[in-house]
Amino acid sequence: MTASGVAGAARGLFGLGASWTRVHALALNTFIEASRNRAFVGLGVAAVGLVVSSIALSQLAIRDQAARVLVDFGLFAISLLSVVIAVVMGVILIFKEVDRKTFYLVLPKPVRRSEVVAGKFAGLLAVLAVAVVVMGAAWILSLVARDVPVNPDMIKALVLVWFEAALITSVALFFSSFATPVMSGVFTLGIFLVGRSVPLLDELLRAKKGVLVRNPLVRFIAQAVTDTFPDLSVFHVGKELILGVPVGWDYVGGVALYCAGYCVFFLALGMLIFRRRDFV
Amino acid sequence: MTPAIAVEGLSKTFRPPFRLKKVRAVRSVSFTVTPGEVFGFLGPNGAGKTTTIKVLTGLIRPTAGRVAVLGGPPTSIEVKARVGFLPEQPYFYDYLKPTELLDIFGRLFGMDRSTRHRRIHELLDLVGLAHAKDRTLRKFSKGMLQRVGLAQALLNDPDLLILDEPLSGLDPIGRKEVADLIASLKAGGKTIFFSSHILADIERLCDRVVILDRGEMKAEGRLDDLLAGGRWEKEAVVRARPGGAPPRVETWPEGTRVEEIDPATWRVVTPGEAFGPVLQRLVEAGFEVVGAGDRRLSLEALIMGLTREASGAREVAR
Repeated sequence: MTASGVAGAARGLFGLGASWTRVHALALNTFIEASRNRAFVGLGVAAVGLVVSSIALSQLAIRDQAARVLVDFGLFAISLLSVVIAVVMGVILIFKEVDRKTFYLVLPKPVRRSEVVAGKFAGLLAVLAVAVVVMGAAWILSLVARDVPVNPDMIKALVLVWFEAALITSVALFFSSFATPVMSGVFTLGIFLVGRSVPLLDELLRAKKGVLVRNPLVRFIAQAVTDTFPDLSVFHVGKELILGVPVGWDYVGGVALYCAGYCVFFLALGMLIFRRRDFV
Repeated sequence: MTPAIAVEGLSKTFRPPFRLKKVRAVRSVSFTVTPGEVFGFLGPNGAGKTTTIKVLTGLIRPTAGRVAVLGGPPTSIEVKARVGFLPEQPYFYDYLKPTELLDIFGRLFGMDRSTRHRRIHELLDLVGLAHAKDRTLRKFSKGMLQRVGLAQALLNDPDLLILDEPLSGLDPIGRKEVADLIASLKAGGKTIFFSSHILADIERLCDRVVILDRGEMKAEGRLDDLLAGGRWEKEAVVRARPGGAPPRVETWPEGTRVEEIDPATWRVVTPGEAFGPVLQRLVEAGFEVVGAGDRRLSLEALIMGLTREASGAREVAR
């Protein structure tokens, strides 16, 4: 390698390091904002309350079904509230910066607009990680309190819930790079609902009769949806936990890659739009 | 020498939401800011000052024209690292303390922890906010927020400062302190580009100005030249003996005229080159000369005149 090549590589590495420092600073700000936001703290308290309330719900279940209710309802509550946090925060954060004009102070600093989007995403991932850890701890405590056996696969289930919330965050950030919060929220929830319905659609496509067999246009659209939209069912292993089917780290790794692919896609689109945007 | 700011034929057109008609915020604006000068950006509301400043700071892209800041595009990371910017009525992350805000911005400038710590405390002392460093910004008054805005604009010790209405929201003492700060930054070799409605501060601080009106450039140049109205004139204030008549200047050098100040005092205005002979005639005619100097328009009169001219031209065009 020539001297100029070494210098270029060093500059590249330095640039990458500097870029990471800026993304880290913006992520830190996002994390502080969330942690000092009363609405977020309130949501966290509600989430823990919901998980703990699964204990009360399990009292109503038939005796041998109590463990199932605790595992299933608890995980469902964590997943739902993580997605709510992801949608609300993802949709509001960029809009708030534009609306309150705080971007006027940030964007003239030596920072790329793509780094601003990446910083918001990284900050929200940290917020979601804290939310999942707190809710997960409450969930596991509720299981211990009811003598339900706890196993390491439950940690993997929580990691998968976090991945799903990360994917939804990237979708919300993408929409909020150009749309109003209400529109972004509607679009993001739309993708979430379709993503949760992909296995159902897939089943209908494989059926021998029904509307997807009779109508070629509807069939084409359903096929396109299952081929392109993220299948959010891959993030849910509640059934496996209940049935005692092991969840391997190789499965978690595969889902991580699947999630990362979609996150990169939505964030790259968001960055592209955000880069061209005028801040009037 | 590379200009600190070079703007050539800058135009910016917006399309407001749900409207077909475009709005031309800035039209063919050109000016150059030399390193080390304090450059004033003047004009009434809606003149296009903030739009131009947003282009200079990379917040919006020009529709047409070329803009170079410190020799590069305003969106370049290297350029932005050398620029400090204070927006008009700055909005902050109000959940942060000033030290936290400056710390996050310091990280964006790539400062290490010890540099950030030192610089933050220096700047809070400089803008007089050391006593409030542990309060969150939501508890700050408008004037205090303006000072935080100045501190963050100075954080990277910039070569070029772009300040949008830096003196607004401050009490008289605060205004004087900030004006003194701008003067000391100029003395330290910084280039300062600032917009203001406060004409006295522009007069006091600026070497050169650009005057904008409805998106168009009306004047650019040294403040003294603009205030002279393109003419070099001098004036003498004279007083007559009790019961005396005003000076009769019909036969005196061309361009000489008399303005009454009160029944016994007059201002005699004359072309600069004729001032000596006129002064001599006044003394010979028995007038007491109580004052003399260069004839200048007030900045306010200059701006009013320029914007009135523009309105007049528009009326004629209709």
